[in-house]
Amino acid sequence: MYSSALKLRDTAAYILALLLLSGFASAAEINVGANVGNVPWEFQDAEGDYVGFEIDLVKEVAAKLDASVEIVNIPFSGLFSAVQSGRIDIAISSITVTDRRLESVAFVQPYYDSAQSLTVDSQSDIASLDGMRDKVVAVDTGSTGDIWTTANTSRYDFAEIRRFEGIVPAMLDVQSGRVDGYISDIPGLEYFIRDKPYFTVVQRIETGERYSMILARGNPLADQVNDVISELKRSGFVAQLHRKWFGSEPLPDSSTVSVIDRPLSTSVGGTDAGFVQTFLNWEVLLNSYPLLLSGLSVTLMLGAISIAFGLILGLFVALVRMYGMRSASIAAKVYIDIFRSIPILVLLIVVYYAPPFAGIELSAFTAAAVALSLVSGAYTAEIFRAGIEAVPSGQFEACRALGLSYRHTMTDVILPQGIRVVIPPLTNNCINVIKDTALASVVAMPDLLKQANQAQALEANPTPLIVAAVMYIALLWPLVIMVSRLEKRFRQEFSQ
Amino acid sequence: MTAIVSIKNLHKHFGSFEALAGIDLNIKKGEVVCIVGPSGSGKSTLIRCINQLEAFDDSSKVKISGVDVRQDETARAEVGMVFQSFNLFPHITIRQNIVLAPMRVQQLSEQKANAIADELMRRVGIESQADKFPRQLSGGQQQRVAIARALAMGPQVMLFDEPTSALDPEMVGEVLDVMRDLAVSGVTMMVVTHEMGFARQVADRVIFMDAGKIVEAGAPDKIFDNPEHQRTRDFVNAVLQY
Ligand SMILES: Nc1ncnc2c1ncn2[C@@H]1O[C@H](COP(=O)(O)OP(=O)(O)OP(=O)(O)O)[C@@H](O)[C@H]1O
Ligand SMILES: [Mg+2]
Repeated sequence: MYSSALKLRDTAAYILALLLLSGFASAAEINVGANVGNVPWEFQDAEGDYVGFEIDLVKEVAAKLDASVEIVNIPFSGLFSAVQSGRIDIAISSITVTDRRLESVAFVQPYYDSAQSLTVDSQSDIASLDGMRDKVVAVDTGSTGDIWTTANTSRYDFAEIRRFEGIVPAMLDVQSGRVDGYISDIPGLEYFIRDKPYFTVVQRIETGERYSMILARGNPLADQVNDVISELKRSGFVAQLHRKWFGSEPLPDSSTVSVIDRPLSTSVGGTDAGFVQTFLNWEVLLNSYPLLLSGLSVTLMLGAISIAFGLILGLFVALVRMYGMRSASIAAKVYIDIFRSIPILVLLIVVYYAPPFAGIELSAFTAAAVALSLVSGAYTAEIFRAGIEAVPSGQFEACRALGLSYRHTMTDVILPQGIRVVIPPLTNNCINVIKDTALASVVAMPDLLKQANQAQALEANPTPLIVAAVMYIALLWPLVIMVSRLEKRFRQEFSQ
Repeated sequence: MTAIVSIKNLHKHFGSFEALAGIDLNIKKGEVVCIVGPSGSGKSTLIRCINQLEAFDDSSKVKISGVDVRQDETARAEVGMVFQSFNLFPHITIRQNIVLAPMRVQQLSEQKANAIADELMRRVGIESQADKFPRQLSGGQQQRVAIARALAMGPQVMLFDEPTSALDPEMVGEVLDVMRDLAVSGVTMMVVTHEMGFARQVADRVIFMDAGKIVEAGAPDKIFDNPEHQRTRDFVNAVLQY
């Protein structure tokens, strides 16, 4: 008795010690989220190591706090939710301090004065923002470039804004001519094009923005980091980073050299945002609702078109496969096998980026619809084939024995049975196609996921993503229920 | 008297395998012919050739009431067929199973087709099942529906391919009873069967087949009690013993 009680006490003490240690351990390792590829702030060098202005800075800050750094690669629009949920402690990625963002996250003092820029293909005759009238602008989803461009669309008469997840895909589309210019942070662009003469930064756009790191509101680490940055500015470390990465001296009174106060939220309210405040913020929901609805309609349109073309293609391929000439039948089988094994994301990128090199230009919507239809067609073909083959040969024989014509055999006997077999898997396929439309985000399609991402970056709050998830569920749940009902019903009907 | 079914020199090949090796057979109106023989002897193939479920060699000829089944597609509608596995249409009711062909092929009005269906359902004893689906019926009932469905086209001859082989033993009798009634009322029938008791009682003629040929044909008493050929004797001894 006595000894086991002692053991229990020891165990409790042990667990307590572990908890305390792990508390220290998490302080000793700082998880830093970064949109890797955002040159020259955070990117991978030839050896695959993370390097860049902000990587150097955050490592030095951590070193001063006796902590190590663990870098997590997260797209820009996801950084805000990541600090809010505690997945990472700090986010870097040339994040501009804005009042909107201050309402949901904490910033330390900024360390770089920046501006936006317009980059175009060197061959184009666009010389400034005025040349962008009726032209297509690329921006990074939810970035300050996105915010500035959206706010100035009517002033400059931009035809359309396309949203990308980083410099590389955006610049690929500038090169292919799908977009006419790219509005983004000037330091990154100047660094990116320094060895690419076929791009030109034609205009600097003064926005008075400053970059800093973000943490969750109420995270005590913010003050510690801020103090270290003050120290690093005074010691000249930050100025030295400027020389290292930009090859020039920082301006004398810029935030790179002068110590300034931590920017704080002007709005009243608690410092620590609650769960509901963060994940189901009513105000954010109202703000982002129109954006999400427009995304939903694009998702529905893309889904409907891909499903329709997939059905036609699938029926055709199934018939060729079953009744076509030998060579055509083999071709149909090869098509089915290839498009069932290729990851849709890969296909999407091939369909989007390859044709321009052959002089064919597909819009993002067309590319996405083509890729989704091709894949859906392959699955649908197999579903139709299985459906027709599932009707027993005895049914055909009974029809022949009764003297029914081919047409009546099909319309009165075979198809009504085949359809029953085919509807549940076809509905399943529809569900998959609609889910797969979310992949089209990568080719700058303003679908539901893309719009949710943009909204969550603009609002610096994950609520739009939650709402998008609810929308997907509301859209697909009825179909899922329908599939299981139909499956059950048809199973009963066929069991003789 | 002209034959309802007239088969001359019927050969059937599956690839290089000869399933029917020259069959000659005439069936008179009202005659009931039972076909017996070992498995693989070509019994099913023979009756499937009669209604063109199988194509046969060019030199062969099959006529229904004098019409070559290969010349005239409509000749097939003169032949009713009952399968071992019923092959009812599972997605429509019993009544719809029966009226489908009369309405689609003979273009009967729904009213007329229904009247025929009612009469036939009474005849095979399934009148209370009209609005059920096939899966709701027992095997014996389903096979009786299949018989009614075939009869609804008013065929000149009814073909049966082992109509009771897929049935539980307690249901065999009800189907054979219906077939016996048909035979008594003068329906011309060709029945492939392993039910030797039925063949002995009902058949006007029993045909013994082996290896794609008719080995011996004659009255039931003769085939079962007094077979001429050794192979017939062996077969009869084997099935009767069992
Ligand atoms: N579609 C086919 N392809 C190839 N061979 C076939 C085919 N159908 C039947 N056969 C062959 O033809 C022969 C006769 O078959 P059939 O079905 O007529 O025999 P059966 O007398 O009805 O036998 P069972 O009593 O087993 O039903 C068998 O050897 C069979 O293997
Ligand atoms: Mg057989």
